Amino acid sequence: MIRRAAPFRPFAVGSRRPIAAVLLTFALFSTVSVAFSIRATNRSQNRAAMVEVAARQRTLVERYVQEVLLARAREDAAPAYTAALLEKSAAVLLRGGKVPAVHGDDDETELAAASGAPARAQLQQEARLVRDLTRAGTALLAGRPVESVPQTAHEHITVKNPVRRLRVLAALTSNVSLNAARTIATSTDRNVSGLITLQIVLGIAGLAASLLLGWALATVIRRQTVHFRSLVTSSTDLVLVIDEDGCRYVSPSVEAILGRHEIEVLGDGLRHCVHPDDIPAVEAAAAHGDAHEVIFRVSNRFGEWRSLEAHVTDLRRDRHIRGVVLNARDITERVELEQELTRQAFHDSLTDLPNRALFRDRLDHALARSRRGNEVIAVLLIDLDGFKHVNDSLGHDAGDELLRQVAQRFDKITRTGDTVARFGGDEFAILLENASEEVAITLAHRVIEEVASPVTVGGRDFSLGASIGIVLHRGGAGQSEELVRQADVAMYAAKEAGRGRFEVFRHDMTRQLGELLGLEHELRLGLERGEFQVHYQPAVDLGSNAIVGVEALLRWTSPTRGSVPPAQFIPVAETTGVIKPLGEFVLREAFGQAAQWLRDGVLPDPFVMWVNLSGKQLTAGGVAPLVLRTLAATGLPPSMVGLEVTETAIVEDGPSGARARAELEELHEHGVRIAIDDFGTGFSSLGHLRRLPVDLIKVDRSFVQGIEHDAKDAAITANLASLAHALGVLAIAEGIESEGQLESVRKLGCDLAQGFLFARPAPAETVTRLLAEQGRRVALRSAYRESA
Amino acid sequence: MRPATQLLRQNWLGYAIAPIVLLALTGCGLYGGHGTAAQVVRVTERDFKISAPKHVRAGDVVLKVGNHGPDHHELIVVRIGRSPLPFRTDGMTIDEDAVRRRTVGALDPAGAGATRSLRLRLAPGRYVIFCNMSGHYLGGMHRTLVVGR
Repeated sequence: MIRRAAPFRPFAVGSRRPIAAVLLTFALFSTVSVAFSIRATNRSQNRAAMVEVAARQRTLVERYVQEVLLARAREDAAPAYTAALLEKSAAVLLRGGKVPAVHGDDDETELAAASGAPARAQLQQEARLVRDLTRAGTALLAGRPVESVPQTAHEHITVKNPVRRLRVLAALTSNVSLNAARTIATSTDRNVSGLITLQIVLGIAGLAASLLLGWALATVIRRQTVHFRSLVTSSTDLVLVIDEDGCRYVSPSVEAILGRHEIEVLGDGLRHCVHPDDIPAVEAAAAHGDAHEVIFRVSNRFGEWRSLEAHVTDLRRDRHIRGVVLNARDITERVELEQELTRQAFHDSLTDLPNRALFRDRLDHALARSRRGNEVIAVLLIDLDGFKHVNDSLGHDAGDELLRQVAQRFDKITRTGDTVARFGGDEFAILLENASEEVAITLAHRVIEEVASPVTVGGRDFSLGASIGIVLHRGGAGQSEELVRQADVAMYAAKEAGRGRFEVFRHDMTRQLGELLGLEHELRLGLERGEFQVHYQPAVDLGSNAIVGVEALLRWTSPTRGSVPPAQFIPVAETTGVIKPLGEFVLREAFGQAAQWLRDGVLPDPFVMWVNLSGKQLTAGGVAPLVLRTLAATGLPPSMVGLEVTETAIVEDGPSGARARAELEELHEHGVRIAIDDFGTGFSSLGHLRRLPVDLIKVDRSFVQGIEHDAKDAAITANLASLAHALGVLAIAEGIESEGQLESVRKLGCDLAQGFLFARPAPAETVTRLLAEQGRRVALRSAYRESA
Repeated sequence: MRPATQLLRQNWLGYAIAPIVLLALTGCGLYGGHGTAAQVVRVTERDFKISAPKHVRAGDVVLKVGNHGPDHHELIVVRIGRSPLPFRTDGMTIDEDAVRRRTVGALDPAGAGATRSLRLRLAPGRYVIFCNMSGHYLGGMHRTLVVGR
């Protein structure tokens, strides 16, 4: 059999039933007691009246005898009246009714019929004796013999003397009247005694029942109190009852939660414990009790602030409470976690500086203030130049350390109210409030100086550059997003202008940038959509007039812009970083095509597939692995490919230039040919050129175009060709469009030539045909020679 | 009031002594110590008559007195002498003081329904048993008892 524990219902008002039971029992016993008392009192009153009347009968009997004797002696007397009183009173005593009054003595009395067999028997006897007495009296007065009067009450009077006989009758009557009164009185006494006994019994029973129920009630209340006390004391929540005078109650859990004794919190104590900023909220809750939740801080025993979240219940109208109840729980950990999460959400974890979101928020607030007060706001957007090299050469840990140190330096050189933020990567931003253009520029100089000052990372000193875009907001409406974008534009401008410098934003920069960004988007889209094609322009050996190589040239046919010249989109691709995927595309296509030709057997020997590498591609690093990977993928021998690099890219000072040269050397060692494009237009020194792994020098088309008529161009071309030969490399003339130009370059010593005169840049199929025709010509010539 | 009962009634010592005397008598074997049982005589009182056997044997006698009422009645046992019982000056009641020496026993008044015993040692002779409440003797409540050997 399953026994279920009685459900614990601490909030059930169970005490009402016992209270009602106690009251009902008490009322029941009281009612019974009062009813009995009333009844007994009524009976006692009736009996007292009966005793009085019965006792009066005795007096009336004696009076009757005296009156009979007086009447017999002819004196004034009214025995008949007394006899009537006697008879009437005897009858009323027995049957109830109105007892007649005795003149000048008393009033009429209303009696109930006598109860109880003994008393009734005595009163009946009395009535009989009264009758016998009055008849005897009447006979005596009438002169009739008294002996003749019947003795109806069983008396056996043998006395002859009529007066004495009358007196005997009177004595009998008087005696029975007296005894009847005694019997009634005794019965009344018993009645009173019974009533007293009953009252005692009822009182004891009522008291016992009430005590029992009261005990049960007390037990229930005690149990509930114990439950509640246990609940409150074992609860980790803090219960406070407050009113306008302070704290009226605090649960014992205050010791566990705050380490404080109840006394410290009660009354005015709470006010001293609550954080000054939160006192208004707590006071408002105490005054109105209308807030559902209130969060406030309270200092614990050690003076630490603990955050409490309290549910507010207004029980000021509850006469048991008369206050506002706060059910509070310690949410310090949660608050700290929230603060930490908020901090993390708005701070850069590496440098602990505000992140982009917080910067934007502070900028929004600054803009709002600026709108009201026309304050000048300056935003500096900083991009570190050369950071990528540190990251690549020493690893990300070193890069991170570098960023931390730079962040500390920025923090040091700014004012307390300024915001230094890291946007990600090597991009930082500084927000200056109450600034001016001079202040912003001064800070930009400081930033450049600080960044240029060597930073020791991983045991090595690094000196970086910083490109800074500055934008100034001079009051009025403004949007943070717009400002940051403008700073970005200015920063791009600074980078474009040569790095390690700053630019203050001008509105004309926006247009340029807009164009740049629009093109970038289209370039990326074009790559995905296959809008790019590689065309090939043959290079001809001026000795044999045979094709000895082709230059791969990228062509872009945009659906919106039509055919876009490389001179337009390559710089954009370089600035925006699209050059990397584009470069990979060209390498893949060109090498693949050459491999295809090789497999098709249309390639002459020697043959080189020339691919242009942009300066950005080279300085960004990673060219050597990419080329080698692509060669491996296509199966083309390294000796059949050549890379055309610009002069400026490979002669650049600094780590990126050095890395570019190292990678070219590595490729050269693998057999890859290297050509210097647009040689002569840069500032390269011959010393540099000597150390470079170069196989070919391209004479720029600007010299070739004037070669027939301009002696200077002819001299430069001749010198360049001589220089190439002096260095042991070949010279190729670009942009040959006429026979005259061809003759000139041939005379001036160029080895190879390239230009519309031979072939325009054309799709692979066209070039395939050219190569195939050349192959057939060569084969035919060989056949003739052999037959000759 | 009759002096015979008054003596007992008014003297609290009498209340104290009576049970002791009774106990002493009992201890002396009045009931059975000598081997002879007391003679029980039934006496009935009612308004206004006393009924009892006319002849009783001498010796220990227990009068079982029942009052059939309706009035209260008492019982006094007096040995009859040469002169009749004297009345008090009221002419209604027997002068108990005058017959004290001859009084052999008495019962206080009792209400209707009461039954009591009166223990007597009766010598042979004539006795009158009567109720001496006012007028009851003259009303007929007396009876002669002849105690014989």
